[in-house]
Amino acid sequence: MANLKEIRDRIKSIKSIQQVTKAMKMVAAAKLRRAQQSMEQARPYTHHLNGLITSLLPEVDRSDLDLLEIREVKRVAYVVITSDRGLAGSFNTNIIKKAQNEIDVIGKDKVDLFCIGKKGRDHFRKREYNIAEQHIEFWNDLDFCHASNIGSGIIGQFLTGRVDEIRVVYNYFKSIASQEIKTATLLPLLYDENNTKRIDRIYEPSKTELVKSLIPKHLNVQIWQFLLESYASEMAARMVSMDSATNNADDLIKDLKLEFNKARQASITKEMLEIVGGAEALS
Amino acid sequence: MKTFQLDIVTPTKVISEGQVEYLRAPSTDGLFGVEAGHAPAVIALGIGEIKVMRGTEIIYYSTSGGYADIRQEEVMILAETIEQAKEIDVTRAEQAIQTAKDLLGKDQLDHIPVKNAMERAKNRIQVSRRTELN
Repeated sequence: MANLKEIRDRIKSIKSIQQVTKAMKMVAAAKLRRAQQSMEQARPYTHHLNGLITSLLPEVDRSDLDLLEIREVKRVAYVVITSDRGLAGSFNTNIIKKAQNEIDVIGKDKVDLFCIGKKGRDHFRKREYNIAEQHIEFWNDLDFCHASNIGSGIIGQFLTGRVDEIRVVYNYFKSIASQEIKTATLLPLLYDENNTKRIDRIYEPSKTELVKSLIPKHLNVQIWQFLLESYASEMAARMVSMDSATNNADDLIKDLKLEFNKARQASITKEMLEIVGGAEALS
Repeated sequence: MKTFQLDIVTPTKVISEGQVEYLRAPSTDGLFGVEAGHAPAVIALGIGEIKVMRGTEIIYYSTSGGYADIRQEEVMILAETIEQAKEIDVTRAEQAIQTAKDLLGKDQLDHIPVKNAMERAKNRIQVSRRTELN
C-alpha cells in the first residue's frame, strides 16, 4: 500500500489541476455564449445574400465571368479551419484527420493548403504538405476583415488558374454537445442550371455587374460564417472536454481519498497491534 | 399613404424598420427613392446615406454599400455596414480621414482602397450632421 504522504501529495496535485480545468471551462462557456451570439446574428445576412445570389445566377452566362468558370479539376485548394490552442477534446484531431484523408485521396502534390489556426498549420507543416497561406493567432479578436483577407487570397488563387476548385473543411456547430465536420465547395459556384423560374425585375447596374460584385462578397461572407461556426464549435468542444476533465478529477480524488483512509486505518491498526504486543510482552 | 415592410440586414445585426412610407438610398450612380408599389428590382448600393420615413419620423443611416432587394410588398437592404446617424463616432471617422490623408502622401501605395476608406469616413461625418438638424 502506498504511503500516506504520497497519496496526500497526489490528491493535492489533482485538486490544483481540477481548478485549472474548472477555470478553463468557465472561460470557454463565457466565450461560447458570445461566439454563439455573433454566429446567430450573422446567419440572416448569409442566408439572404445566398438567396439573392442563387436567384441571380441562373440569369447570367457562366462564360461572362471568370469566377463562374468550371474547369477540369487538376489542382484543389483546401481551407482547413482549426483552432490555435489545444485542450478542446478531439476538435482539432478530427478535423485534421478528415482533411488529411481527403487530401491523400486527391494526392498530396495536387493540393494547396490554406491553414486557418495554428494546430492545423503545425500538423501539415510537419508532414510537408504545400501550405499556400496560413492565418494564425487571430481567433481572440475575430473580425470580418480576417474573413475578407482569407477570401481575397483564395479568390486570387482561383483567378490565376493555379487551382480549379476550392473546398473548406470546418466544424459545423450543431449544438453545444455536438459538432459535425463538414466539407463545402466554395468555388466554382454550383447551382441548379435548370431552374427556369425567372423573375421579371429591374437590375441596376446590369445583371452581370451585380453578380460580379456579389460573388466576392458572397464568398467572404461564407468564409466569415465558417469562421464563426468553427469558433463557436471550438469553445463548445473545450467546454465539454474541460467539464468531463473536472468530473474525472472529482472521481479520482474520491478514489484516492478512499485509498488514503484505508492506508490511514491500516497504519493505526498496525500501531495499535504494536502497542498491544508491547504491553503483553511487558506483563 | 401606402406603406411597405423594410428590413435592413447586416452581418452583425438585423434592423427591422416595420412598415415605412418612403426609402431613399444611394445606388452606385445616384440616389433612388422607393414607395409602396415599386416594381421588383435588385439595386447595388454605393457609399452614402439612407433615409427612411416612417409616419412623422425620419431616420438617417450611413452605409458603405450593399444591395437593395425590392419585392412586391417588402424591401430588404443587405449592407456590410450600417450606422444610424446618432450612433456615428465622429472622432473615429475624423481619425480615419487623417490616416487616409497620411497614406495618400506616400506614393508607392495602392491608392484606391485608401481613397475608398476616406470616402466612407467623409460620408459618415456628413450623415452624423443629420442629427443636429432634427
